[in-house]
Amino acid sequence: MIEAVHNSMGYPILSLVTFLPLIGAFILLFIRNAAAVRWIALVFTAADFFVSIPILTNFDKTTFHMQFVERHDWIPSWNITYYMGVDGISVLFVFLAALLGWICVLASWKAIDKKVTEFMIALLVMQTAMIGVFCALDFFLFYIFWEAMLIPMYLIIGVWGGKNRIYAAFKFFLYTLAGSIFMLIGILVLYFTGGETFDIIALMNQKYSIIIQMWVFVAFFVAFAIKVPMFPFHTWLPDAHVEAPTAGSIILAGVLLKMGTYGMLRFPMAMFPDATAYFAKPIVILSVIGIVYGGFLALAQKDIKKLVAYSSVSHMGFVTLGLFIYSITGIEGGIMQMFNHGISTSALFLCIGVIYERTHTRELDAYGGLAKAVPIFAVFWTIFILSSLAIPGTNSFISEILILTGTFGYSKIVAAISILGALLGAVYLLGMYKKVTLGEITNHHIKEAWDLSGREIIAMVGLAIFVFWIGLNSQPFLDIMHTSVVHLLDQMNSVSSNYAAIP
Amino acid sequence: MHGSIRKRTIMTNWIHPSLLFILGSFLIPFLHGRVKKAYLILIPVLAFISVVTVSQGTYGVFEFLGHELIFGKVDKLSLIFSYIFTIMAFVGMVYSIHVTDTGQHMAAWFYIGSSLGVTFAGDYFSLFIFWEIMAFASAYLVFAGRQKSSVDAGFRYILIHIVGGLFLLAGILLHYGDTGSFLFGLLEQDGSMAFYLILLGFMLNAAVPPLHAWMPDAYPEASVTGAIFLATYTSKTAVYVLIRAFAGTEILIWIGAIMALYCVMYATLQNDFRRLLSYHIASQIGYMVAAIGLGTGLAIDGATAHAINNILYKGILFMGAGAVIHITGKRRLTDLGGLYKAMPVTLILYMIGGFAISGFPLLNGFISKGMIISAAGHDHQALIVLILLLAASGTFLSTTIKIPYYMFFGKASKIEAKEPPLNMLIGMGIAAVLCLLIGIYPGLFYGLLPYPVHFEPFTADHVTGSLGLLMATVLGFFLLLKVIKPEHHISLDVDWFYRMGTRIFLWFARRPVCAYEGFITEISNTVILPVIYFFARVGLWIDRNIVDLAVNSTANFVINMSAFVRRVQTGLVQHYAVGMVIGIMLIIIIYSLIGG
Repeated sequence: MIEAVHNSMGYPILSLVTFLPLIGAFILLFIRNAAAVRWIALVFTAADFFVSIPILTNFDKTTFHMQFVERHDWIPSWNITYYMGVDGISVLFVFLAALLGWICVLASWKAIDKKVTEFMIALLVMQTAMIGVFCALDFFLFYIFWEAMLIPMYLIIGVWGGKNRIYAAFKFFLYTLAGSIFMLIGILVLYFTGGETFDIIALMNQKYSIIIQMWVFVAFFVAFAIKVPMFPFHTWLPDAHVEAPTAGSIILAGVLLKMGTYGMLRFPMAMFPDATAYFAKPIVILSVIGIVYGGFLALAQKDIKKLVAYSSVSHMGFVTLGLFIYSITGIEGGIMQMFNHGISTSALFLCIGVIYERTHTRELDAYGGLAKAVPIFAVFWTIFILSSLAIPGTNSFISEILILTGTFGYSKIVAAISILGALLGAVYLLGMYKKVTLGEITNHHIKEAWDLSGREIIAMVGLAIFVFWIGLNSQPFLDIMHTSVVHLLDQMNSVSSNYAAIP
Repeated sequence: MHGSIRKRTIMTNWIHPSLLFILGSFLIPFLHGRVKKAYLILIPVLAFISVVTVSQGTYGVFEFLGHELIFGKVDKLSLIFSYIFTIMAFVGMVYSIHVTDTGQHMAAWFYIGSSLGVTFAGDYFSLFIFWEIMAFASAYLVFAGRQKSSVDAGFRYILIHIVGGLFLLAGILLHYGDTGSFLFGLLEQDGSMAFYLILLGFMLNAAVPPLHAWMPDAYPEASVTGAIFLATYTSKTAVYVLIRAFAGTEILIWIGAIMALYCVMYATLQNDFRRLLSYHIASQIGYMVAAIGLGTGLAIDGATAHAINNILYKGILFMGAGAVIHITGKRRLTDLGGLYKAMPVTLILYMIGGFAISGFPLLNGFISKGMIISAAGHDHQALIVLILLLAASGTFLSTTIKIPYYMFFGKASKIEAKEPPLNMLIGMGIAAVLCLLIGIYPGLFYGLLPYPVHFEPFTADHVTGSLGLLMATVLGFFLLLKVIKPEHHISLDVDWFYRMGTRIFLWFARRPVCAYEGFITEISNTVILPVIYFFARVGLWIDRNIVDLAVNSTANFVINMSAFVRRVQTGLVQHYAVGMVIGIMLIIIIYSLIGG
């Protein structure tokens, strides 16, 4: 039974880390000067990042209970509380979101030159919403943050995006909203059958009838599957990624996708063990299809961003695969993969954004010989490609090996097919690497020296640090999530024959 | 032959000469000029002192993977070989001191060092390691001839020695499997596979036919100074290990005798004089092999003595031949002649070597060859005696008559010549002095031989027999002058078989195997990648035309539906009013029908 541990810090740190960007957005409403806007946004996101560090360092690894809890009554007549807390599963993503925040601001420094204020406001509001999603322990609050994240993203894609941005923004919005509607229905069902409360912890500690479990599981699952994205709900991702500006892609790939799998971890798996057991196999199959399908599709792409977008589908397939195979290694690998994918793919999008800024083309054939023309960039590009490939020594290797180890225990055929997916990853990533970086310089734009500027290097170093830190010393990160994962597996395995009677 | 077994490490009591040479070679590149020359001579001297001062016993025993590696098995047999090896190292370095190619010096030292390593090896492991180092180091010396033919010959050389090494290794491992021990000593005459494989490996290095063709192939191609070392070490090390392991193997008697005769016959036919001398080495080794086969104390002594002496006088012969090449640049007898006026000292020294090898009294060949033939006689092997005597005649013919006749005398060729550099002459001189010394005072030499010697070389019978043989040979030479006259031709030996075999093998490797390999390598391009790309395109088609189609169709449907329904919004209030009225009527009707 998860309980709430009282906040060990003296102050409401989770509220601070959630709403600090919102305060920044509010301040920005009154600033017109574009340069000032950028700096203020940077200050607030950097401050947010520094605030999130103590959450990680003061995290108690020995308990699976919620930590840094804040609980206040909000709308008592409907039992809605303002309830924030983190455990081993969510704390890493609070950190990730805060990390990617300032990197996004740095990435959009020069890329966004029209309506800068509005852009930064949208970015900051989205920061709030994202971190709020990970911290919320009340369904109402969770849903508010979940939906709140949609609108800034829609704006970012639709206003500052590429050529086909309206279509992409609409697609993203409608897809996610459709999923969210299902989730809302699920939440309401839980409210009524779980005792008229929106408190997630309380709802987790209850047992539900098998019918309820199945339906609500499906409802939640659809919502989150769209977000992850799983096959066949994935088609919004390539369009959204391609059309979004760099910062949008970074935050989309880095955090938004993780909200989907986080949702799966927090809700269906913990609350509906019987339904999870029932649906685990189809979900595993869907994940494997996603891995291989995403891999094949990435191979067929000529647009770099679309290629990386499809690789996201493939990598997130690994995550969901790890989550549903009922092993600690798998789940830890899955969560680790979520974090690592957030780092690696965001970094790849950052790199792509950098070169797109210079050359204004994303066609694979337009590139070549970057290693000669822009060596510093090539170094980072290589690091992040290798990280995406899951080369030993980089972060993704740890997570993929954990997932694959768990999968081998689950079913050898599934593991074999997943390895095929990893192989495809090598094919398209290295193919892209070769075309872009090696060989002769083809694009005349590239011949002008445009190696990385200082702020771009800072942004990339920020991510590269984690590539190697996790790759070489992943134990601290795994320790953080371990206790919570063990507890989660207990919850999943508490498939009982004496669940509540069918209402 | 064993002293007391005292286990000592190398460094405390005795510096293994191999270490001196092999480790010492690394210093050579850093030295120049006089210092370098002094160093080049110093190390062989130190090595000689090292082996002269050591007392018999077992040194340098190391534990390795549960077995003992014995690096220092010092007894009379290994000592006497080490004496001559170090002396010859000194002579050879004096001879080649003018060479500036550091690589040759280093290779020579590795070669010498590893030969000494084999000499002192007490177990098969260390023996094999040094055996292989010898092969590679000597190959370098062949390559150092720097001509195209040298490179080709060097390749053939190293290939054959690697094959020989493999035979040896296989034999060693089988021997270990049979007996459980790696100790190097007399092998059981059990006719097992291990026995023959090790024998094959040793025989190859000893240039026993039919495994001999590499010697006359490679030695003429080596550099002038490198050939000295080549002539000395590989074959005599092989003789040493044959003495150790195969003494008394009867088949060797016949192999040795036939070898002596066969090779000397080929030697007589040669035009390239270093090739002649190389065939001749093989011929002389035939004597030793036959003696090893006999296996008696006298025979083994004879083999050992003959090996030592061979090193000396073969050294002189190669040095002389090398000096001629160094001065004139010509390798063939057909190109030379009349050099006696320009190179008298060389001629004299060469003739000393030539007479020594032929077994003239007062020179060292006399005392050792006599031992072997005498041993054969004691063993009642009359045919062997005859064959060996014939071979002796052939020896005299080819090396001492034919070469000097056509090289130094004979029709004068118009070649510029002078005496070779002083160091070469000194080298030859030292060896010549030793030949004379041993020939005149054999007692000191006999004291060093493994078995106590009761052989009296200077019997009237022996002396007259030898001289008579030699005189008859001279007569025969002049009678057969026309036949023996060197011509520029190639004498094809058993090497035809493996040259042809190599050609066939290479064809096979190039055509069928490479084609197949190319297909496999390209499979990733020709088969696998297209398959992957095909699936990628299929995926793309599915994504576009099925999944997105569904999504976009839904969206389009909604849009179309709403466009359709929008038509109701005509904008005219009277239409809305009508609609409201109809709607209210419908509700009332339905409510009255259902409700209540």
